[in-house]
Amino acid sequence: MVYSVGVQNQYNKQVYKHASFGKKEEEKRSKCENHDVLLIEEKTKHPVSTAIKIQMNKLVNAFTKYPEKGFKGSKNANFYEYLTMGMVPYLIGSGMLIGVFNIASKFFDTPAAVNSSKIGKKMGLGVLAYGVLKTLSKKLIEIPVKLARNVDVNLPYDKVVYELPDKDNKDNLVSHEYHKVFESVDFPRFDMFYNNKYFGEERDAYYRKTAKKFGFNEEDIEHSDQKVKPKIRETVVKTRLFTTLSSYLWAATGVGIAMQKPWESLIINPKTRLSNLKDYLQKAKIAKEQGRNIAKYNYFYKDFGTKFVESCKQFINNDHKATKYAGRALLGAAVGMTILGNIFALHDFNKDKGSKKQAATSLIDDSKEKVIC
Amino acid sequence: MTNVLNAIIANKPIRQVVQDKSPSFTFDSEGKIKPLKDKGRLLPSKIFGSPVEYAKDLKQDILNIGKAAKGKANDHELGRINDLAMKFGSLCLATYLFIKNPLKLSKAMEFVGFGSFFASMALWPKLAIQAPLRARTGVDIHQKYIDSQGRKKMLHQDPQYDLTDLYSREDLDKMGKKLNVSESLPDRDDFIKQRAKKTAIQGNTLWMATAGVATPVMSALICNRLEKPIAKVIETYDLISSSIGMEKGATNGPIAKLKQYFNQRALNKFLQHNADRVMDDKLISELADKLGKGANSATLQDVIKEELRRLGSSIKLDESFIREAVGNKLPQNIFETLTDKQKTILEKAIESGSVKGISDVLASAVPGTKHEQMQLRKTIANLIENAKRTKELPKLSFISDKIQSIYSSLSAFASEKSILDKFITARVGDKSGTYIANQWGRVGDKLIKSLKLSTSELKALSQGNIDILTDKLSQLAANDLEYDKVVNDLMRLIGDYESKTNSTVVSRIKQKAQDICNRASGDLQSKGFTVISDKIASSSQKSTIENIINTSTVERISGAQSSFYRLLQSIDLIKKSKDGILEQQISKILNEQGQKVDRATLDKLIKVCNKVILTATTTDYVEKLKSSGFQLSEIEYKTVMKALFDNSTDVSNTLEQSLSKSMGIERAQEILQGFRNYKDEFMNKIANWQNGMTQDLSRRTVTGITNSANAVERNNIVGKPIKNLIQDVAKQTYNSQKWLKIFGTTFAALTVITLAIGLTFGRKSKMEKQLEEERKAK
Repeated sequence: MVYSVGVQNQYNKQVYKHASFGKKEEEKRSKCENHDVLLIEEKTKHPVSTAIKIQMNKLVNAFTKYPEKGFKGSKNANFYEYLTMGMVPYLIGSGMLIGVFNIASKFFDTPAAVNSSKIGKKMGLGVLAYGVLKTLSKKLIEIPVKLARNVDVNLPYDKVVYELPDKDNKDNLVSHEYHKVFESVDFPRFDMFYNNKYFGEERDAYYRKTAKKFGFNEEDIEHSDQKVKPKIRETVVKTRLFTTLSSYLWAATGVGIAMQKPWESLIINPKTRLSNLKDYLQKAKIAKEQGRNIAKYNYFYKDFGTKFVESCKQFINNDHKATKYAGRALLGAAVGMTILGNIFALHDFNKDKGSKKQAATSLIDDSKEKVIC
Repeated sequence: MTNVLNAIIANKPIRQVVQDKSPSFTFDSEGKIKPLKDKGRLLPSKIFGSPVEYAKDLKQDILNIGKAAKGKANDHELGRINDLAMKFGSLCLATYLFIKNPLKLSKAMEFVGFGSFFASMALWPKLAIQAPLRARTGVDIHQKYIDSQGRKKMLHQDPQYDLTDLYSREDLDKMGKKLNVSESLPDRDDFIKQRAKKTAIQGNTLWMATAGVATPVMSALICNRLEKPIAKVIETYDLISSSIGMEKGATNGPIAKLKQYFNQRALNKFLQHNADRVMDDKLISELADKLGKGANSATLQDVIKEELRRLGSSIKLDESFIREAVGNKLPQNIFETLTDKQKTILEKAIESGSVKGISDVLASAVPGTKHEQMQLRKTIANLIENAKRTKELPKLSFISDKIQSIYSSLSAFASEKSILDKFITARVGDKSGTYIANQWGRVGDKLIKSLKLSTSELKALSQGNIDILTDKLSQLAANDLEYDKVVNDLMRLIGDYESKTNSTVVSRIKQKAQDICNRASGDLQSKGFTVISDKIASSSQKSTIENIINTSTVERISGAQSSFYRLLQSIDLIKKSKDGILEQQISKILNEQGQKVDRATLDKLIKVCNKVILTATTTDYVEKLKSSGFQLSEIEYKTVMKALFDNSTDVSNTLEQSLSKSMGIERAQEILQGFRNYKDEFMNKIANWQNGMTQDLSRRTVTGITNSANAVERNNIVGKPIKNLIQDVAKQTYNSQKWLKIFGTTFAALTVITLAIGLTFGRKSKMEKQLEEERKAK
């Protein structure tokens, strides 16, 4: 089978046409999909579903296809697969950590089980809070960077990988991987932005737009790609640094909030909640017959919300003075790092001291030797 | 004609030609261009890195953060920063939880948890995958190399980036031998490299597949195993540091001075900020909090409030004010009818501003029943308080000098007292983690261990099944060797307890209490703050802080001592029951009382004796064992009490011998004498039957009972029932065993599976064997 490998040359208006997930193997191997495709349209129009689909694809492969290849020591195993398999210990580890504090408690007698469940509940919520805040907090830097600089550090592309035939697989040699354009700061896929009609008619439309966002003079946006690429690379490095630093502080803050007392009384067990709801409905029925009003039922989302607000308050306003200041310091560090991240990522430290025009022209000097890349 | 070239150039990316200062080539001896020599090399294959290397890497990572903040880092550096940030974030969390947790052990465990988690994350792949695979195949799946730019990386991280050329001849031969690659194979090196790569891919996959289960479980197991040793370290540290603190006295170190400075500053600020507020109850409460801070005494807080009320009262509580306040509630000539004694007390109460004192004296001077007098006392007190309230109160600024003066005396007292509190708490404090609490835990552990319980028995015991305990104890008594061992173990623990709570320690506490209380009291007295000074130390008052410290300490020590004696008595009793000595003693007591001895009564009383000593609480004794469902006649009750607590029924010879064997004759006799004294005290204060079975010990006023103890004393004498101790420990042991069984088994199974899977790696597949054959044939 012969595949023509090259850069994408035609923008396809049909959204999802490029993305390989959810398609049959036959379709995947169709001629139009034999090259890497930037998923900009998909991500812009359907950000959530695209992210979910990519994550699901990675998740399924991380638990099935990649370990199979890995355990066989396949010559086609690669670094992407190894990194994607990192999801396995992350997810199982989180579940195990919750389990370590909760599984044994059902064998304990009532008082010990109650105490153990209080700790277990907080630990479980702590693990979840860690994951959620670690992921979401990154957006606090990534979104401003995207809006201000037109650099989306999470922009995905569908990478077509041509594998070597081996004894188990001789025909189905194409596999798809979901990388991010800027996942490597050493080798960012700058080529993915050329000739992409989504950004405009010009070959370097993305770079022209981005150059403007970086403050280059509008009249001098020729060769904008060469001017802006180093800037993009710097922005990506700074964004990656500060999202990393802040995300662990936010994760620690999340666990800190999960360790507060109000969570101890949160009812999580669906069985208990259901029986409580039944009791309530019965009481409500009797009350209605008697013409009385009773308080509204405390649904899980409401209960959770109340406990969350109380816990946050306790985290920054604990009765114990040292704990109060420690909580504020932790939250302050997380917020501070996010603000610092925004300042650093959006500030151009390497800018020439002169005017924007001078800065722009100083990059490519037409009077000196230049080559076409 | 259009210039096509220009059109192309306009649409193509261009690059300025820049002269590279460091060319990527050099010249050989013939002047021909050749590439620079690569500097990449393998690092020595090690399971554990050196701390110096780790510190160097850490320094570089920190420097890289600065570089990255300017946008200049590369992928490798950003990856390392991620690992560093994860550790830093976890450290921040551990610090927060360290501050949040009130107990020292929990505080310490936060850092142990942090350390054990990262240790497990690093150790699991090394111990379960890397080391066994290296030993068997010679392939180090975590082999590191250093590239030309000086960056340390994993050789087998990316299978598509083949760096196996870095292997030396020795490495290849070593691996080839272990991988059983034929030496006659033409392209042997390539074959070995391929096998090494394959093994690494398999090893890394196994790591990813198992780390999720292994890391949390291994970390939890490490924490579980370290908890007790750490508790012991903390306990020892507390004992030593509190003893040194007592020797040194109030610390004048920089931290103490800084604390003092900040507290003083906070008080000054408070006084300035609230200068215009009137001395109402709210302000007095706030001031008392600030002045009594650190002394850890509710009594002191109350008395400060009283003093402040006195100081803050612009009203002089004199005769005319009282007359006016009470109006016609008292006879007009009430002051004239007072006796001299009453007059003296009234004067003192007026001087100290004590409304309660005034109302007490005046009400007692009015004839009437006790109930009427009590009512009158309340009415008078209310009237005086109301009258005081209606008068205008002074502002805080009027007495801020006096407040400063009280503060200077009390802050010194508070810091001295906190040192004494630490000394007492470390030894006999009523909270977990103290020496006494841990020692009890150790006693329980030893007992549980010696009882040799199965899991189901442990569960039943943890749920309070007393029969199992009795059975197991009698089994223990039947075996002299084991009995000796238990006595020996327990006596060592008891001996250790005595050495830490003996009369020298008690007198040290009393001396220190006397010193600090007298000093503070004298200081406050000289400044005229008599209310506080009298409450701290006084020759006339009983409930002073000095006395509270002394009595509570002595009570705690004697309470624990009783519990230990009760333990001694339990192990003696099971021996006596087993050897038939208890039966003889009961028969003798019954005979002395002229009672007929029959089998049924004997059996019943032996059973009661055993049960009483294992389970009876103070309430059971107070109610003459009626509440426990024993149904004893007066004679039977007396017999049980005599058999248990009369010194004429001495301990068994076996116990005496065991004690002598483990502690030496002299020390054994000392302990036995202490035990006899304890029994005497028990007979006098608890097992009392002079007034028959209906006499309730809780009523101390019953005539004829002169040596009855109050509730606290009674609890201290009775001590903790052995059943409660064993049940608590059994519960903990059962839960701990259950947890350990689940996760210990999980971890063991995972280790076995991982090692077994690892065994299959590096083996030749059929295809490889075939290939090898083909190549050989060629």
